[in-house]
Amino acid sequence: MLDRFGEAISVVLGALALAYLVYEIDRRKRRLRDLFHVLGSEEADISGELLSMVESGELQPYSREARA
Amino acid sequence: MPKSPSGTRPSRRPRARAGVPSNGAVSPATENLVRSPDAQDERVAAEPVASSRLSEPEPASGDSAGAGMVIELPARPRKAARRKYKPPADPRFRIFIIDSGWNAVARRVLRHNFALIRRLHKEELIYLLSRKKSVEFIGRHRSLIGRDPIIAVHDLKAMGGRGTAAFHGFHLHLGILRTPRQALVALQTFAHFVGHPPSLEKSRSRHTHRASPRGYAGLGRDPPT
Repeated sequence: MLDRFGEAISVVLGALALAYLVYEIDRRKRRLRDLFHVLGSEEADISGELLSMVESGELQPYSREARA
Repeated sequence: MPKSPSGTRPSRRPRARAGVPSNGAVSPATENLVRSPDAQDERVAAEPVASSRLSEPEPASGDSAGAGMVIELPARPRKAARRKYKPPADPRFRIFIIDSGWNAVARRVLRHNFALIRRLHKEELIYLLSRKKSVEFIGRHRSLIGRDPIIAVHDLKAMGGRGTAAFHGFHLHLGILRTPRQALVALQTFAHFVGHPPSLEKSRSRHTHRASPRGYAGLGRDPPT
């Protein structure tokens, strides 16, 4: 009886540890994707606006002289 | 009858008062010292050692004995030979920095470590958006709220082929980080990546998921958590 109970506890604890591991990996992966967000077609409007700001001359490349 | 410069007057005159123009109060003996600013500039440029002596009282010699006046030198002229900025001939990336300033921690880290980004500006094009422009820009793109400072990197090589319709770069959202250490590590990772870009296409084909820095750039280094 005790053996079976011990086994059950071990299985539950193992499952919990595994679930936490999976959760933690997934959380870090999501956070990483959020930090380094790759631009695709969904962000085309954001990039397009930056591009148009450059092309219209609204944004000038950074230079030390311009900064001074 | 005008008094002679070397008459009963003391040999040294008191300092000229600040704000009083010196041109009108110059004795003839010291006229040769008080020249036009241009002439002084030339003298400063040509004789740096001699010019340092101008502020000291001249040794008493003849008529110039009473010439103990202080001459205010103009500010040191800038070196004319400062190189003009030339945009890189063949940049790989175009980097935009968008910062409305709401995240003080990340903003401070970015400002203090701007040298990391400035180092890239010989090879890449860098654009800084002012705070006002950043606020307006983020207001138009609500998905960016709470994520700035943002470093947006456009891969010109990728954009040359398909424009912005497909993969064309990445955003570094420093604003989601809370501690200076996390922000600094992320910034260093970014600078390392942009400084040594791998073949993005190869890297992208190896990793089918949307890239993480490890998969995307192959940096082999843990990003901040």
